[in-house]
Amino acid sequence: MPDLASFQRDFASALMTDGQAAPSFRSQAFAVYRNTSARGVVEALRASFPTVDMLVGEDMFTQVALDFRRDQPPAGPVLSDYGADFAGYLARQPWTCELPYLADVARLDWLWLESFLAPDEPTMPRELASTPRIALHAATRFAWLPTPAMTIWQAHRDPWEMGQLDPDWIAEGALFTRAGGCVSAELIDAGFHSLLLACTAPAPVPEVVAAVAAAFPQSHFPQLLNRGVASGALVIL
Amino acid sequence: MVPTAGLSFKPIHFEQAMACPAAGLWFEVHAENYMVDGGPRLAMLDALRKRFPLSIHGVGLSLAGVDQPDREHLGRLRQLTERFEPFLLSEHLAWSRYGDVSFPDLLPFPRTNEALETIVRNIDITQSALNRQILIENPSLYMKLEGHEWPESLFLGELVKRTGCGLLIDVNNVFVSANNLGFNPISYLDALPRGVIGEIHLAGHSEDPLMGRGLLIDSHDSPISGEVWKLYDWLLARCGADRPPTLIERDNDIPAFGVLMAERDKAAAMMAGQRVVVHA
Repeated sequence: MPDLASFQRDFASALMTDGQAAPSFRSQAFAVYRNTSARGVVEALRASFPTVDMLVGEDMFTQVALDFRRDQPPAGPVLSDYGADFAGYLARQPWTCELPYLADVARLDWLWLESFLAPDEPTMPRELASTPRIALHAATRFAWLPTPAMTIWQAHRDPWEMGQLDPDWIAEGALFTRAGGCVSAELIDAGFHSLLLACTAPAPVPEVVAAVAAAFPQSHFPQLLNRGVASGALVIL
Repeated sequence: MVPTAGLSFKPIHFEQAMACPAAGLWFEVHAENYMVDGGPRLAMLDALRKRFPLSIHGVGLSLAGVDQPDREHLGRLRQLTERFEPFLLSEHLAWSRYGDVSFPDLLPFPRTNEALETIVRNIDITQSALNRQILIENPSLYMKLEGHEWPESLFLGELVKRTGCGLLIDVNNVFVSANNLGFNPISYLDALPRGVIGEIHLAGHSEDPLMGRGLLIDSHDSPISGEVWKLYDWLLARCGADRPPTLIERDNDIPAFGVLMAERDKAAAMMAGQRVVVHA
């Protein structure tokens, strides 16, 4: 009679294999556990990466998700934590050379989810420090992508846009904010992206001005800052 | 208002739930869905909690696992209980993690004395960390395992005796397990200790595509069957004056709110001792 640890080790191992398990794990009854565990992981990934699912279709997404699960099974039971490296995994698959924007779209789905679940900003107004600093709102997420993935991502959020989808093949910036409760998504340019990057850690205003001016000497800082605060991306501490 | 019969909370039903005037209504959520840092999901639960009693039902603590409950997971569970002050907190007689790999399912084990000691230890750690009682739910079983040293009802009774935990009896799980493993569900229910059932679950099941009625699956995707209503009726009579709060547990193929409320109202009527016709 195997001890509890040996039983669980063998059972867990059999759940991850596909029909190559020991005879005691080949029954239809065992298949219920194997199918439920696999389906739970696949559906969690589908919920976290809805745009990738739309792009590759349900059957292909299921297969890719099962492959990812074999490569990186969940380490814990909170499934909204699972999939941080799904975009990286996609980028490493040879077949995605035919869909060069796919990994970037996955990255955007993940950033949306991070914004959706991020901490809430404290509701009490802060006392302004004697040296005000600019910081990112707790739910701000942004990225600069080598492909027009943000245009593709946004089009799939709005079915009426899909018919006209023919983006210029250029790099794009993406911003997700959650100032008003729901996540807002927008395409951003390199100048605005450089402002967000300069605020990754809270920084005094002169430092941020200098960083943005160094990257984009032609940029109009007050306008960029206004936009940052109005969009909910930035807070003044 | 004393909680009577409740529903699994589904965000798509939020507005209808908040407007629902039913006395004694309460809601249950899966703990792991709310182990997030912020955002609309938690805000919605805050609003729901201001209006109704809340039950938190964990699925990932892996109490039957050889490893102790994960400390970070316990910490997140404690944060949830402190924020939402649930009137019930429950987990499962199952494991879901081995080493570094976690499975989104409730997995079986041979009910040995070693397993009993392991689960007693894990429940003690949990109740101590959370500073409250936890209810343990009976599982749905699909496989006949070798090596059991305890029948399940007595195993649950022993856990109650040694840890002071309570029980969450899922009547559909009893029905499904009894069907799949070939035991009498009434004998199972009759062997449970008295006075320790803190909650009852009622749910739907489906047939395995290959094995049909020979292998029922606890799918939570259909109305409660007549056989399960009959078992619930029997269990209520055995509980006597205790009326454990009862949940209609629907997780898949979610129907309209009104459809769920109809099942909920039937359970509430049965709890109130009203005669409700129960068809097989």
